Amino acid sequence: MGLTNTPSDLLPGTLELLILKTLVSGAKHGYGIVEHLRMASDDVLRVGESALYPALQRLLLNGWVKAEWGTSENNRRARYYTLTARGRKQLAAERAEFDRMVGAIQQVLGTT
Amino acid sequence: MKHDEDFSMSTIFRRLRYFFGRSRHDADLRAEIEAHRTLRQDAFERDGLAPEDAARASRRALGNVVLAVSDVRDVWTVRTIDSLSQDVRSALRGLRKSPGFALVAIGTLALGIGANTALFSIFSSLILRPLPVRDPGSLALLTDGSWSYPIWKEIRARETELFDGAFAWSGQSFDLSPSGQSDPVDGAYVSGRLFDVLGVTAIRGRMITPADDGGAAPEGPVAVISHRLWRQRFAAASDVVGRQLTVQRVPFTIVGVMPPGFFGPDVGRMTDVMVPFAAEPLIRGQESRLTSAGSWWLQIMVRLKPEQSLEQANAALRVVQPQIVESAITIRREVSEPLTLVSAATGNSSLRTRFETPLFAMVVAVGLVLLVACANIASLLLARALARRRELSVRLALGSSRWRIAQLLFIESLIVAVTGAAFGLVFAKWSSVLLVQQLSTWQRTVSLDLALDWRVLAFTAALACLSAIAAGVAPVLGLESVTAGEALKDAGRGMAGDRRFAVRSTLVVAQIAVSLVLVVAAGLFLRSFASLNQLPLGFVPEPLLVAELNLQASGGPPEERGARVDRLRDAAAAVPGVRSASVSAIRRLTGGGWQSGLVGVGDGPISRSRPPLLLDATTPGWFETMGMPLRSGRDFEAGDRVGSGPVAIVNEAFVRRYLPGEQPIGQRVRLGFDPNTRHEIVGVVGDAVYTSPREGMLATMYVPVAQQARKTFWPTVLLTINAGPGRRVAVKRDVAAALTRADPTVAFTFETFDQLVEATVTQERLIAMLSAFFGGLALLLAAVGLYGVVAHAVGARQTEIGLRMALGAAPSSIVRLVFQRVGVMIAAGLAFGLAGSLWATRFVEALLFNVEARDSVTFAGAAAVLVAVGVLAAWVPARRAARLDPATVLREG
Repeated sequence: MGLTNTPSDLLPGTLELLILKTLVSGAKHGYGIVEHLRMASDDVLRVGESALYPALQRLLLNGWVKAEWGTSENNRRARYYTLTARGRKQLAAERAEFDRMVGAIQQVLGTT
Repeated sequence: MKHDEDFSMSTIFRRLRYFFGRSRHDADLRAEIEAHRTLRQDAFERDGLAPEDAARASRRALGNVVLAVSDVRDVWTVRTIDSLSQDVRSALRGLRKSPGFALVAIGTLALGIGANTALFSIFSSLILRPLPVRDPGSLALLTDGSWSYPIWKEIRARETELFDGAFAWSGQSFDLSPSGQSDPVDGAYVSGRLFDVLGVTAIRGRMITPADDGGAAPEGPVAVISHRLWRQRFAAASDVVGRQLTVQRVPFTIVGVMPPGFFGPDVGRMTDVMVPFAAEPLIRGQESRLTSAGSWWLQIMVRLKPEQSLEQANAALRVVQPQIVESAITIRREVSEPLTLVSAATGNSSLRTRFETPLFAMVVAVGLVLLVACANIASLLLARALARRRELSVRLALGSSRWRIAQLLFIESLIVAVTGAAFGLVFAKWSSVLLVQQLSTWQRTVSLDLALDWRVLAFTAALACLSAIAAGVAPVLGLESVTAGEALKDAGRGMAGDRRFAVRSTLVVAQIAVSLVLVVAAGLFLRSFASLNQLPLGFVPEPLLVAELNLQASGGPPEERGARVDRLRDAAAAVPGVRSASVSAIRRLTGGGWQSGLVGVGDGPISRSRPPLLLDATTPGWFETMGMPLRSGRDFEAGDRVGSGPVAIVNEAFVRRYLPGEQPIGQRVRLGFDPNTRHEIVGVVGDAVYTSPREGMLATMYVPVAQQARKTFWPTVLLTINAGPGRRVAVKRDVAAALTRADPTVAFTFETFDQLVEATVTQERLIAMLSAFFGGLALLLAAVGLYGVVAHAVGARQTEIGLRMALGAAPSSIVRLVFQRVGVMIAAGLAFGLAGSLWATRFVEALLFNVEARDSVTFAGAAAVLVAVGVLAAWVPARRAARLDPATVLREG
């Protein structure tokens, strides 16, 4: 179970963007987010905890997500993250920005 | 996509919340990560791993939890905090390395902040602090002045209808000694509901209750005592309730002890003993003022109903004013003004009006001293910063931001300010007690609760911050000149221009200017105080001892008092060492006295006399005892008694005012309160001060004590004893014994005229003392500042000076070189200072006596003092410069 794709491998802020996106479909705990990212990316994005939790805290700090303790599907105590209204707005903004960046990068890569 | 330092309000708030809930936050995070792990373990087990293997695998997958937690912490804590602690450490290191600088800076600030805090704590406890009682905000005082007991009875009858309760009190000096010499403490007569309305409960026994208003309780007359008296006189005995306490020679039973911190409704006065009004007739006997409509001697306070505003209470009071006034008024004083309540949240105090102006003047003065102190520290910090130019310049070159360097310098001044403030608090605690002692006189013991409450602490903290800013701005501004790499180039060697000292020179000029203002003020106050002390008294105070004899406390009828006074006087006169002893009715130098506003002189009608004619009664020989010369006619004689023709002696001021150019002897005087008696003037005496030296010599008429109607004989008289200089202490003891032998029931207290005279100038003495202290302090600080700048400038120009001397400049020309700069600074400081003083004198005018606010002597003197101090401060470094050995300087420079 080697860890790949630590934050430095991604564009800065991308992990936060992905987490925000993941939470659009509903509240999730940390493990759930990791699993969702893994499955949604066909096993490409495997986020380690040492990257995930600082990112989650940054989102909390900015008020883009809220955290609450709850019970998981198999009766474990877990902390659930939900998207706030500000988080939704941020997601839209970052999404556009990300598209612009990726477009720019592809353009650069496309030129010879 | 920016994620570095976001400082919006809400994130700062969240950061703060994180900061204060750190440990919980960390625990949450650990629990969360553990939950994460178990969820993964569950998944592994579902995939078919054995539980132990699943646990191990999940732990491995988790990676470094410690690192994750610390990474998370980094998200929340800001990098500035980290660099802040770095700066604090480096500033502390810097201060430790130069203990001299630290000592001077912290010491001056401690004095400056301490003096400010001391004055503020007095100001705060006298004027700002609410009474330490339940809900002081809803208390209101009936103004203006004092009220009679009949009026109080009318208000009491309506207290629940109009208000949420009311109480009255009358501050008194109570003599606690059972016999002989008095032992006065501050006390009060109080109405039964005082403690109830104030919400003050006893810590031992009970407080005075409405039941006590009815008269003696089963245990006899009752008294409650303060916590302080309980501890001082009764050693905090647990069985104090039930013990006897003699008040004005009447035995009382102590029924309770007031809580600590409660001093009564008068601020500035520690009311040690309180007795109900019902006990007043026991003390004053036939002369009780409870039924007198003409005695205005008590204060009334009410508690407003919940939701009742002051305006509503006033309106309600004025509706019933006619009934109150009708049943309680005499012709002596009309209550025509509408009765008015004012907020009494901070209690009642006569000290406020008296000390408001001087306190304010002093607060301004200490504020200025603090400014001078800050200028000094700014100058010192700047010098240090400039000395570190190379280091700072390297920092700039290495990419440190200017803001970061400013922060570094600012931290230094903040540390100095906070340390100074801490020492300042200690200094304030000590000096404010000393100051309050100075406010007390023989007549009045001023007692203020000077606890360092939140107001004082907040004030000190604010001062520390302001000082840090004031002292920290100059170094930062002075660093404008530092540029990256610049200092590296010249490597601190070349000839330093004057420009880098511009900021410091400006500071010195400001210091000199402010100091001059303070020195001028000190000069004016000192001259004012001196001229008050030089005022003629008209009598010779040195050999005199004054005993106030209280004839009332022993309860004998007024008719017997004349004979008792004669006995007491004879007993005192027989004591060895007493040259003469005689009696008068009125105490001098209290600002007031016995007076008549309606006077008829000669054959003229009785007419209004403004200011009123002052009166006194004396026994034969009093003028001689006092050392007042008889100008013409005769003194009173044994033959001037009740029944013989009424006689009077007047002073020269009387003659000047009422009988200018006439022969006074044989003229008749009639007084408004006794229009049928014609006093024949039998003598004229020299003028003497009656009310206070400041008011000068006022027209006074003396009548014989022996002709006073027996029924209205004064309850207290004054026995003046001429003991000869230097013998007063021994004579006092013997006279006290003789008086007690002659009349065991008489109560008496001794004063000297020195004390009485001193009491009339308390305020001036205090102001003169304080302003002299602050002026001196400012002068010292300015001298230190000037010295520092000159010494530093000389040090920086060493190479240049050495070169000049090597080229043949004489030491005197070097001194001249230094003094040219110093002269410019002093001259500029004097110019600004004089302008400032001329402007500022308008505020002290009211506090001066016999001195012009723009007194040229004072101004010139102050300027001369500053020049002298400035020259002295510059002389030391200038001499050092002149003695430089050019060879050494050029070799080492």
